[in-house]
Amino acid sequence: MRLPLIDHIWRVRGDVPIDPALAPEEAFARLDPLLRTPGTTLVAEGNTLTYSKHNPAAQDKFATFTRGNLRIERVGGGAVLRFDLFSHALLLCFLAPLLFLGFAQMAVAINAWEGSGAEVSDKAKDKDKPKPVKVLNPVDQFLGAPAPEDPNKKKKDEKKDEGRHSPDEGYFMAAVFALIYLVGRWLEPWLVRRRLRAALANPPAAT
Amino acid sequence: MAGVQVGKRIIGADAPVIVGWDNIGKVEGGPVKQFVFTYFQPAMLFAAILFWYYAPNWLAVASTAIAIRLGWMILLLVLEWVNPRYESWQLTWKEFATDAFYVGLGMTFLGMVDAYIGDGVMIKAVQGAFDWDKFSWFTGLPLLLQAVLISMIFDFGQYWMHRAMHNWHPLWLTHAPHHYITQLNINKGAVGNPIELFLIGLGIGGLFDFLPRAFLLAGAIGMTVSVYQHINVRFNTPRWWRFIFNTVEHHSVHHSQDYEATRSNYSGTWIIWDRIFGTCVDGEAEVLGMEGGRRMHIGETMIFPFREGWRSTKAALGKRRGASQQPHPAQLEPAE
Repeated sequence: MRLPLIDHIWRVRGDVPIDPALAPEEAFARLDPLLRTPGTTLVAEGNTLTYSKHNPAAQDKFATFTRGNLRIERVGGGAVLRFDLFSHALLLCFLAPLLFLGFAQMAVAINAWEGSGAEVSDKAKDKDKPKPVKVLNPVDQFLGAPAPEDPNKKKKDEKKDEGRHSPDEGYFMAAVFALIYLVGRWLEPWLVRRRLRAALANPPAAT
Repeated sequence: MAGVQVGKRIIGADAPVIVGWDNIGKVEGGPVKQFVFTYFQPAMLFAAILFWYYAPNWLAVASTAIAIRLGWMILLLVLEWVNPRYESWQLTWKEFATDAFYVGLGMTFLGMVDAYIGDGVMIKAVQGAFDWDKFSWFTGLPLLLQAVLISMIFDFGQYWMHRAMHNWHPLWLTHAPHHYITQLNINKGAVGNPIELFLIGLGIGGLFDFLPRAFLLAGAIGMTVSVYQHINVRFNTPRWWRFIFNTVEHHSVHHSQDYEATRSNYSGTWIIWDRIFGTCVDGEAEVLGMEGGRRMHIGETMIFPFREGWRSTKAALGKRRGASQQPHPAQLEPAE
């Protein structure tokens, strides 16, 4: 399926220059230590390398990109390694704000639903008896800790009850995930480029 | 692996664990770095206590605590970046995003569920049934004593809940996903199945009548002590601190891939509970997790207790049925 614009959300494409003298087999051999981690299947055919990761480890350098396609192409006199990577993590982070906005809306809806029925009975209960005023221990009085407030005074200027749940946490987390997505969409491709470049520059150590 | 005998148990036979304080890692660097990472933990605890002790009433409220906590988390993330305990625990973008999901779930959905079936509701119901006024003398105790009592009472409950989770299969199924984490970072405490997070949050502290300021002080103790149990920062933790309080050293042993090591260090804040009840193992570990370090993704974490519970029940029922149908001993070679 081709989704040329919208798939920028979860797909990362780009290229890194490589030494034109490098044969595809050797270039892929250099990438092998980077990509061959537990749970990864690698298929190299001609100038194309395809990989797929099943539940990669936390420290897997390509953990964010669970599928990918790497192709060596000749461009003019030089050569480039073109990559086309797919990320579940980026897609889920992009969608996560919707989930948390959903939780925020749930809080608003429950508040409205509960508020319609229970208002009268709650207020009657609160007014019953005055609460005892609490006094600090003499040690704390001596050390100068502020005295506790009179619980009976506070009630008067308290604003209207806003309900049992607050939607603010949901809004906050939606914003946090929007930020996490933006950082990841920039940071992860940058790291991929850096790691590919470093791997291609160094011949693998003889074993 | 030979392992080390601690009491009646062999620790570190399945996976590497450093037992005792002699061979654990130290902060590497100049005198300033040494100083900062030796005294950071106690300095922050005393600063937090001083702040909550003297903050005027208008400032000593829950929203201030939330704002401080946010700034605090950012500071701890910076420390993880500057002075990691292990490179193999380095926080990646994907791990951070995953942890943030669990933190967010705790703040939103779980918070809402808690409002109906959490400890606050249960305690109110119990208090309605009896006359609990006799506990009100607690409010006359010195503030710090109240705060320490709140923190220790809550942690006592957590200790036994946590120990039960490691000893009773149905509870273990809820807690197991948390043990699939393969590295420690400050938000890893939030990673786990929601049922477990709900259970571990239950406390009996609400039964007692404390001053609000004492609760905030207790929260400050939690924020500046138990927060370090999942931190990837190398500290030269002072001896007295690691004798009284839980540390990342203790908790890394608890999360080790070594089975016996996981059955230790159950407390959240006061390791002294483990010392009293004989489950403390001093030391540290780097190789963490279950099943050789398989990472458990979010989807599996959510369904794990139900899936495994179903499998266990089916297996148990099958065994019982099989036993009643076949009175003879089972055949030596299982049928395919």
